[in-house]
Amino acid sequence: MPSATLLGQALISGVLAGGMYGLLALGLSLSWGLLRLVNLSYFALAFLAAYLTYELGTTYHVEPWWSAVLIVPSMVAIGVVQYWVFDKFKVNELASLLITFSFAVILEVVIQLYWTADYRRFETHYSTLSIKAGPFYIPVLELVLCLVAGALAWGTWLWLRKTYVGKALRASAEDADIAAAYGVDHKKLAYLLSGISAGYAGVAGTFIALIATLAPAQIWAWLGVVFAVVIIGRLGNPLGALFAGMAIGASESLAMAVMSPAWAPVVSFSVLIVILLWDPDWL
Amino acid sequence: MLLEARHLHIGYGDAPAVWDVSLEVGAGEIVSVIGPNGAGKTTLINAIAGLLRFRQGELRFDGADMARVKPHDYCAHGIALVPEGRRLFVKMSVEENLELGCYLPAARAAHDQSLERVYGLFPILRDKRFQLAGELSGGQQQMVAIGRALMATPRIVLFDEPSLGLAPTIVDDMFEIIAKVRDDGAAVLLVEQNVVKAMGVADRAYVLEQGRIVAAGLPGDLLKQPHIREAYLGV
Repeated sequence: MPSATLLGQALISGVLAGGMYGLLALGLSLSWGLLRLVNLSYFALAFLAAYLTYELGTTYHVEPWWSAVLIVPSMVAIGVVQYWVFDKFKVNELASLLITFSFAVILEVVIQLYWTADYRRFETHYSTLSIKAGPFYIPVLELVLCLVAGALAWGTWLWLRKTYVGKALRASAEDADIAAAYGVDHKKLAYLLSGISAGYAGVAGTFIALIATLAPAQIWAWLGVVFAVVIIGRLGNPLGALFAGMAIGASESLAMAVMSPAWAPVVSFSVLIVILLWDPDWL
Repeated sequence: MLLEARHLHIGYGDAPAVWDVSLEVGAGEIVSVIGPNGAGKTTLINAIAGLLRFRQGELRFDGADMARVKPHDYCAHGIALVPEGRRLFVKMSVEENLELGCYLPAARAAHDQSLERVYGLFPILRDKRFQLAGELSGGQQQMVAIGRALMATPRIVLFDEPSLGLAPTIVDDMFEIIAKVRDDGAAVLLVEQNVVKAMGVADRAYVLEQGRIVAAGLPGDLLKQPHIREAYLGV
């Protein structure tokens, strides 16, 4: 049995790594839950954003935070264009999965053509910074990621709960015709949400560039676990996605510390299956 | 006339469900449309609410040609629907359902007064305002559905089978509320299978059978017709 310090460190690292799951899950959860569009391309968009951050950082020495100012709005624009396509071709839930998967594969190829399949690492002086809290080390970048993910998830949750636009989106997801009968222009709101969701992929991409080693095939590395996170966190619930991400991250990390790294994926999918079979009220 | 429908043809796919229907509702009137199950009552009221496009004919509301109006703009003209089966947003709270009723800016400006009015009509909803709409009883859900419509500060309220599935005592309450909605200034178009109640509250009525209007007039006169007595009252 590993020591308490090791377990504590595993828990901290797990929760922080889970912040990335949560951040990546945000857009998928919103789009799936509120627009009934399962948008897999967010994984590829996040990596596109990461590669762009890498490129701007290594070639032009642009600070990643400034790159984000440029890249995130571009992702929003891509999200808006995507919704235009979904709307024009009346894409349904299943078709959206296939179309966005195809789009992601195309993006993967484009990324590979430009940046090759080599591993890329964006070295910054932040990447090794960490705070020491008692016996534990907290990596600063991951902490910032979690704070940003938390702020976005919390803000989005409040937006959906407290504003008329947010309530209209939730109502429209339940019964679009009746929401329209009360004046909700679903299409207009869907463009907005589609843009926001893609924008979150852009934010995730900035952190991927700083934290991860980039390779085109890595686009799919998080697909499975983020899917589990989206479902466990409840579709359309941004705070749920964040907490589920952190819970999965923590359990994976503990499983790795107690058993072996190979057990990590077993944990997340076991949790998913148990929760789906259990089917609790809050799901 | 506030609402004028002229020779409306409405249908799903290739099969029209409502043929050549004309009806009128004046300001301050309660107009009932009665008819058996499957006569096309819900189809008709959904078309008037903008949920369903009519294929032919003319629909005018306060002079505006509604064929040119987008479905989500019907509400802005002052049309509010209490749909069949309530169709509440069941994963949202009672108050959120009501607030959806005043989504449009003009209605939103009256949010506080409208909410007070709805809670005045249905005090139980004030106690349940943070509960999920899906957790309420059928009668309470109907109250939310009516409340949501009133929050839109409508000029006409369309009621689709408001008594369906409710206990008899609650049905009486619902019809009192319908009369009150009219007394407060909105016109009412009511579609009902409960003929006695629908005729009791109405100023005028239409009989819809197999997608066509077969009779129209004052409720008292209609109830004297042998066909209607036989088909709807069983006497």
